[in-house]
Amino acid sequence: MAVPVIAGTTPQVQKETEASNPRDSLLRVNSNNQAFDFFRPWRKKPPFSRRGIGVLIEGGRILVTAELVANSNFIELEKAATAEKSAATVERVDYDCNLAVLKPVDPGFIKAMNPMPIDGNLKVGSELEVLQMEPNGDIARTAAKVTTIGVGGYPFENLGLLVFKAAVPLQQREGSFTLPAVRDGKLVGLLMRYDARNQTAEIVSTPVIRHFLKEMEDGRYEGFARLGLSFASLRDPQLRRHVKVTEPGGIYVTEVVPGGSAALAGIRKGDVILEIDGKSIDQDGNYDDPEFGRILFSHITSTVRHPGETVAVRISRDGKVEDLKVALQVPDRSRLVSEAHITDRAPRFLVLGGLVFVELSRSYLQEWGADWAKAAPQRLVYYDAFQNELPEDRGKIVVLSQVMPTPDTLGYEDLQNHVVLKANGRTVRSLEDLAEASKEPLGGFHKIELEEDPKLIFLDAQSVEANKDALMKHYALPALQRL
Amino acid sequence: MFRALVLFCAVFFAVRAGALEISRSLVRIESTSQVPDYKTPWNPGEVESGVGAGFVIDGNRVMTNAHVVSNARFLTVSKEGDPNPYPARVLHIAHDCDLALLEVKEADFFQGTKPLEFGGIPALESVVSVYGYPIGGTRLSVTRGIVSRIDFQTYSHSGIDAHLTIQIDAAINPGNSGGPVMQDGKVVGVAFQGFSGDIAQNVGYMIPTPVVRRFLMDVEDGRYDRYMDLAMTYQSLFNPAARAALGLKDDNLGVMVSSVYDGGSSAGILQSGDVLLAIDGHNISSDGTIPLGDEPVPLAEVVERKLKGDSVKLDVLRDGNPLALEVQLTEPWPFTLQANAYDEMPRFVVFGGLVFQPVDENFMQEHAPGNQRLKYLYDFFVEDSVYRRHPELVVLSNILADPVNAYAGDFRYAAVDKINGQQIKGLRDVAEAFGQKADVYVIEFVGEGRPVVLEGKAVAEARERILARYGVVNEQNLDK
Repeated sequence: MAVPVIAGTTPQVQKETEASNPRDSLLRVNSNNQAFDFFRPWRKKPPFSRRGIGVLIEGGRILVTAELVANSNFIELEKAATAEKSAATVERVDYDCNLAVLKPVDPGFIKAMNPMPIDGNLKVGSELEVLQMEPNGDIARTAAKVTTIGVGGYPFENLGLLVFKAAVPLQQREGSFTLPAVRDGKLVGLLMRYDARNQTAEIVSTPVIRHFLKEMEDGRYEGFARLGLSFASLRDPQLRRHVKVTEPGGIYVTEVVPGGSAALAGIRKGDVILEIDGKSIDQDGNYDDPEFGRILFSHITSTVRHPGETVAVRISRDGKVEDLKVALQVPDRSRLVSEAHITDRAPRFLVLGGLVFVELSRSYLQEWGADWAKAAPQRLVYYDAFQNELPEDRGKIVVLSQVMPTPDTLGYEDLQNHVVLKANGRTVRSLEDLAEASKEPLGGFHKIELEEDPKLIFLDAQSVEANKDALMKHYALPALQRL
Repeated sequence: MFRALVLFCAVFFAVRAGALEISRSLVRIESTSQVPDYKTPWNPGEVESGVGAGFVIDGNRVMTNAHVVSNARFLTVSKEGDPNPYPARVLHIAHDCDLALLEVKEADFFQGTKPLEFGGIPALESVVSVYGYPIGGTRLSVTRGIVSRIDFQTYSHSGIDAHLTIQIDAAINPGNSGGPVMQDGKVVGVAFQGFSGDIAQNVGYMIPTPVVRRFLMDVEDGRYDRYMDLAMTYQSLFNPAARAALGLKDDNLGVMVSSVYDGGSSAGILQSGDVLLAIDGHNISSDGTIPLGDEPVPLAEVVERKLKGDSVKLDVLRDGNPLALEVQLTEPWPFTLQANAYDEMPRFVVFGGLVFQPVDENFMQEHAPGNQRLKYLYDFFVEDSVYRRHPELVVLSNILADPVNAYAGDFRYAAVDKINGQQIKGLRDVAEAFGQKADVYVIEFVGEGRPVVLEGKAVAEARERILARYGVVNEQNLDK
């Protein structure tokens, strides 16, 4: 998703020669990553490496995008000028905000370097520089100009956080997966996407970086809270009259995520949100930010405020104005029916007599490629897309992913991507449920009930048990389950 | 794969017309049709013309394919050696098996013609001749081939019905459609579809006589009902564990019932997990075939040959207990929603510049909406019993932009759930809800958090303006 830097034209690049050298704060970061194979969850895909630039900040921390080090096996820091290297570990990574902090294994490695301060107060039209590295370690600076500041989707979770968009004609250079954007020697953000055609970059913004670092401070990292609702604009005067809103502005709540911050505060579908944290919300959901102008309210609830804080929300319900307190919380991702991504963590699976079971996640669906929403089995796509509408106790969607044919699976060879409802009479809401159920076959058979045709399949429990070793050996499976 | 099948409205080859016996029975059909416009449903639709073949059968009737005469506004038939086109009319049309019967007003037409008789199922590898008017020619063409395969195939005219089909290797091209396939002086099939050349060579399909005879039997009472269905699915039973768990012997007999669709023939009679052992006394093999005639055929063939109201006897094993059940056959609604429909006009309601249409296959094909929720509701209409709440899915299909509906744009292709609190079960409910005078019309959509609100006064003011501006000649059509 984050496109490293590719530019078509030759921009004006000034070579770094001054004494106040940002080179003293920058390191090459080489991350050897290896993603899991969700179709064959017992193995990893071929490894690959990503190279970017990390920024040394206060506290001996090296800031990079999360995407650079996603599913990393080994991370190496390299000094630009001397090519000295040191291994590094991830101190903290948050895929919501696409940021990670690395620490060198040898703390002395960064001793002679200068941490880069973090800037703020960017405006539309502010000029900044995007830094790249030449092969010889020189810094290549490309002038950039902020064109838009607004809330936009971050990769992985598609969470809306503040993004700086900048016009910048970058050249294609080796190792540009993450690049710092600086102003007057201070860090303002990290490039996370670059559109070479339009020569525009999307930059992880300073407030997001500050929030991430602040969360790390108290040793109890929570991350970015979500209000947990969807809304629609309230421009339509007919709708405004219908919902009896007389105050200006306001947005119409179209969906409240069960168990989310908004739901727990009593916000309901159909409410009109007029104010958040004392700021008036306009008909499109924007408020007047003293620093960045008119931006979406979620900047307050996700970034300005931290999890655990309470914000005042003024709503209009049936023409009556009410004031509510919303305790901001980070949703418990493990409780989601289908997680938006599974990174740095092996997918869970269970193989029973050659039937391969997994839990639905968007990472699984993305194995169908860029066009997964169309190419993947539609029932699974719908489960992912409309998961908030499922009963609260739905649990995980356990999927019979594929069949590795054995004598036990005769006649079932073609089954794939079937949703499992029950096993041996028990409702299946997780792979654990399935593992438990498989300990108690019914009358010597595993009876597995599927949501779609063929609906019902059987395995001979004794034979499944007896053939375990043969199955592992035959298909070279390192294990029959990972829970 | 069946989507690649091409219907053949005209195929031709070398001509020895006149000399052939068949020329007294073969008929060339010219059809002028009008294809409904589902995007601007108040418009009459494009006029098209096509050529197909047909043949005379007893009772001064002409048999052809349904797709040759679908959506016809004007039909003529002509015979070999007589240059006059005679106006004709559709007597019966069966879109689910792609057959039609025509009648010709002028009795002269049948003078000198010879009605053809029907034979049985030709043997594999036996030679057949195909007659027709391929690629629009006016003289008859004949091609020859052998019977390559006898199997169930989807009939691409409706797109959802599968019946017994005979594959032949004779060249069949557009214009052959509706022409007779002959063996030993008898009709053994009606040519109807094939593959385009880039998919498969020398693969043509004909409708075999069991299907033709069933059609003729169905229309004996003066109307065509359609094919009946058990409205259930079954699964082969090869797996030894499944066989043992279901209490079956190792005798390769029996299939397991997977889904039983409520509202269908088998609802309340069969259950998921039942084992079907025999149908009308024919033992069912574990792959779902029965010995009927020379070749094993899918068990559905028994149902295929029956008519509305007929029954099917099923020997069933449920929880190890044998049961003798009887299923009375009814129409397979709601599956028919997903069939291509013909000879009907698009239905719609326009209100406040919002166009509402019921969703069916024709609608989906023409609009190809990207709306994920609508695709779900349509694709899983039967399987997830969407029809229980929405017997007919009605969507906001288009917005004739006007100040009154300036904020409805986000809801294109959303399915209507309620209007002013009333549950919408079909287009008639929509028409009725908007027909009632109200200060405000609150339209709620499935899965959409916010309603569309139209004020009665604003709608009334906008009405003439919208109709005139967009050339809407008709505000609603509720009948097919």
